[in-house]
Parts: sequence; C-alpha cells; structure tokens
Amino acid sequence: MKSISLYTDRKSVLHSLDPINKLYYIAFAIFIPIILPSIEISLACVALSFTLLISGKVFTKTMPAFGVVLFTLLTVILIQGLFRPGNATILFQAGPFTMYREGLLYASILSLRVINIVSSFMILVLTTSPSDLVDSLVRKGMSPRIGYVISSVFQIIPEMMAAMETITDAQRARGMETEGNLRVRIRAFFPLLGPVVLGSLINTKERAMALEVRGFNAKSPKTYLLDQKQYRFSTVIQWGILFVIGCAIVWRLAS
Amino acid sequence: MKKIIVENLKYKYPLTESLALDNLSFEVEQGEFIGIIGANASGKSTLCQSIVGLVPHFYKGAYGGTVIVDGLKVMDHAVSDIALKVGIVFQNPFNQVTGSKLTVLEEIAFGLENIGVPQTEMLERIETVLELLNIAPYRERHPFDLSGGQMQRMAIASIIAMKPNIIVLDEPTSQLDPEGAEEVFQAIHRLSEQGITVIMVEHKMEKIAHYCNRVMLLQKGKMIDFDTPEKIFSRDDLETYGVTAPVYTRVCKALDLKIPGTDYYPVTLEQASRVLGGKIK
Repeated sequence: MKSISLYTDRKSVLHSLDPINKLYYIAFAIFIPIILPSIEISLACVALSFTLLISGKVFTKTMPAFGVVLFTLLTVILIQGLFRPGNATILFQAGPFTMYREGLLYASILSLRVINIVSSFMILVLTTSPSDLVDSLVRKGMSPRIGYVISSVFQIIPEMMAAMETITDAQRARGMETEGNLRVRIRAFFPLLGPVVLGSLINTKERAMALEVRGFNAKSPKTYLLDQKQYRFSTVIQWGILFVIGCAIVWRLAS
Repeated sequence: MKKIIVENLKYKYPLTESLALDNLSFEVEQGEFIGIIGANASGKSTLCQSIVGLVPHFYKGAYGGTVIVDGLKVMDHAVSDIALKVGIVFQNPFNQVTGSKLTVLEEIAFGLENIGVPQTEMLERIETVLELLNIAPYRERHPFDLSGGQMQRMAIASIIAMKPNIIVLDEPTSQLDPEGAEEVFQAIHRLSEQGITVIMVEHKMEKIAHYCNRVMLLQKGKMIDFDTPEKIFSRDDLETYGVTAPVYTRVCKALDLKIPGTDYYPVTLEQASRVLGGKIK
C-alpha cells in the first residue's frame, strides 16, 4: 500500500524512543533558543538536532524540507542584512547594495532557530510511525476521536488518490486529454472533481455509519488489543528536558 | 422469544416528500433467518437501518411507531447501546474498513476496544471469529490489501466479535464475485446455525429461497407479504413488485409442478429435483 507518511523505518535508538519524548524535544528546540538568544546556544542546538538526525539514519531524508526552508531563509538574510533598521557596521559592498553586520547577525540567529525547529519536527516525523504516535497520545488521554482522525488520514488519503487515478483512467479511456500543456491539464481537472468529491462524501457517510455501529461513540472506557509499547528511559528523558529548560530560564533571569 | 417487534413503523428522510417506510408491523422470533426482497427504493436498506437505530438517530427525519430490538426501544437508546444487541454489515466492504488500523487483527478489535472488552476476552473472541469466517490466515495482513470477499468477511467478523444476538446484512454480496459471495453465505449460514437471528437483504433469490425461514416482500415502503419462501415465490403477481422468482420456481411453474400436497411451487434445487425426479431421466 502506498503511504503518505514520511516515516522511514530504520533501526536506531531514536526509532525505539517513546514518541512523547520527541514532542518534548520539539518544545525544547522551540524554547531554548528563545530563552537564551545567543548565537552560540542556537548553534549548539542545531548541532544537537543534526546529531540526532544522523544517529537516526534519516539525515538525507531531511534534504527536501531543508531545501525549501533554506530558500526562504535566504530572503530573510538578504532583507535583514541590507535593510534592517539599526544597521551600522558595513561588512561589504556589492554595487549599490551594502551588507551590514548587525542585520546579518540577527538574520543568522533567526535562521538557526527556524532550522532547529524544522529539524526537531523532522526527528518526530521521520522516526515515528503515525500509529505509534497516536497510540501514545490516546493512552495519555487524548480523545480517541481525534486519534482516529489523525491515523485514518494516513490510510484514507492514499485510497482516495487511488480512486482518483481510476477515474482519470476511465475518462482517458473515453477520449479525454489529460496530458499536455497546463491548459489541457487544468481542463482535465474539473470533470474529476464531481466523481471524486461526491464519491468521497458518500463513502464518508457509509464509513461514519460503519464506525457508529461498532461503538465509536460508546461511553464506556476504552480497552486496547495490544499492550502499550514499552519504551525505555522515557521518564528520565522527559524530566531531563524539562530540567534543562528550567535551568535555561533560571540562567536567563540571573544573568 | 420475540427478538424484533415492529409496530406501525413510519419513517420519512429529512428533505423528502414521501414515506420511506409506511406503516410496517411484524415480529421476528429468535434464531430465524429472514430475507427482505423488493425492487430498488422499496425501503429495504431503510428497514435494516431502522433495526440498528441508524434510522432515526443517524439521519434524523420524521419517525413514528415503535421498534423494539431484544427488549430495547430503538427510539430511546443510542446507536452504540443498540450495537451490543444487533450488528449490521453494509454493501460495500471497502467503506466498512475503519482506516485507522494496520492489521486485520486490530481492525476486528476496533469495535471491542470501543465497547471496553477486556484484553484476554478480546483475543479469544477474535480467534473465534477468525476461524468462523475462515480468515485466520490473513490476520497480519493490512485491511486494505484484502480481496473484496475477504474484506467483507472481515467486516462480518468485526461485527460478530461484538457478540450481537441479531445480525442485519444489507446486500452483503452484491459487490463480490460468485466465489466471494458463496464464502460469505456459508459464513452467515454457520452463524444462523449457532442460533443468531439473521436479517438479510439480498437480490440472489436462489440464495434467499435456500437459506431463509421467512421472506418479507416490500414495495415503496409498504409490506406486501411476509411468509415462507414457498408462499412468497409462488405468488402470481411477483413480477409487478420487481422480483423474479428463483430459477427452480420458474421452471416448475412453467411445467405446472407443485410441491405434492401443497399449493406452492418448489423454490430450491432439492425441492425441484424431488418434484421433477420422476419425470426427467
């Protein structure tokens, strides 16, 4: 079955950790550079995230995401470096444009924060299977309905895409142009919408009924077929992360 | 013991003009195998859904009369409560897969998890239904990777695992090939033998005649007749209700051969061959 999840199945310590730990790490990656806004701390955080990604054997998988992010960050660097109010120290000049030190420094801190946040999300997405994440969250008390929505999306969207392909093929078999320049493609798109959208609505109604008769809305407490996956060091990791964030706040307030 | 009691049931879908179910009254005993037949839009599916409570709770709409299922008054109970008494299997196996589980085993467990069955009992129940519906070899497969017949048997297994006393099947084999359909029929037959009350909508009249104790004929939401397959399929006006009698009945009707001692034509292969036995060598 096709999958739209980015999860990459590898053997690593990162893969065997509780998904909740990775959520804590995301909080860590967001807050630490904000609490301690020096460029050294940001660099250290990025280095840590990258080390984790490499240890999870998924670093190469992050490249497409970073491609997009770095392109956006390039515009930030240019604009801040050239036009930030308070720019004073000239770094270099290229034609009519002057690059300033202050703006560049500010832009680098900003960029490092973004890279750090993106990498922390990548750690979660690339090394955690969606069903494990949902399972952990539901057992922690998240509503099973929200859990269902998250985990079913990963299966039902590929099914919808397969249905769409079948409909495209059927229309092509009846002589509709579906390939060629942009105009042809756009025109081929509209006849698809009817069957795909209406079909999904009908399917959704039937699936809702099927869920309903299987006690989806039952009030009784839920039980589980599979035992909760046993993760090691979860408490240590989670308290450790909280402790470091706490220390960072204290350090910031003291200095 | 009466499992289903329906009295003066009337129902109209929201935003429609005519009644989908028009003054139905009937009773079903425990362990009976009931077939529901009729043309398209005669109210078969609506009747099925009114037994499990999807009508009126899921659709809303105008509702009159009473439906009592295994002692529960449908109007006054939530679908999830009624689901413990009666299960329903729909036409399209595909849309009954939850889409949130990764194996057949977990898929069947979905309903059990929701109603809070303890883990050990859950495993026992799942093993039983896997055997009963002959899908044990696929237990670790991904639900969407099954064939239509296997998927439909998984859907039935998921419902049976919840141990309802009554099971309602709404055209369970219409999207299956003959082999898949036969697998499903045999599975349902085994359930019926275990004393579960079965209500089935089906267009394959030979199957209805073969398996059902009684057959209900519907037209435009009204009950035309509710009797043994022999009586129903021997009616002269069957065609006007959009129903074609089993092939055995049609052959014997053409030859004017009735079941000895009755006024009715044979409806199954066995009955027909007994009647024809002496004539065709």
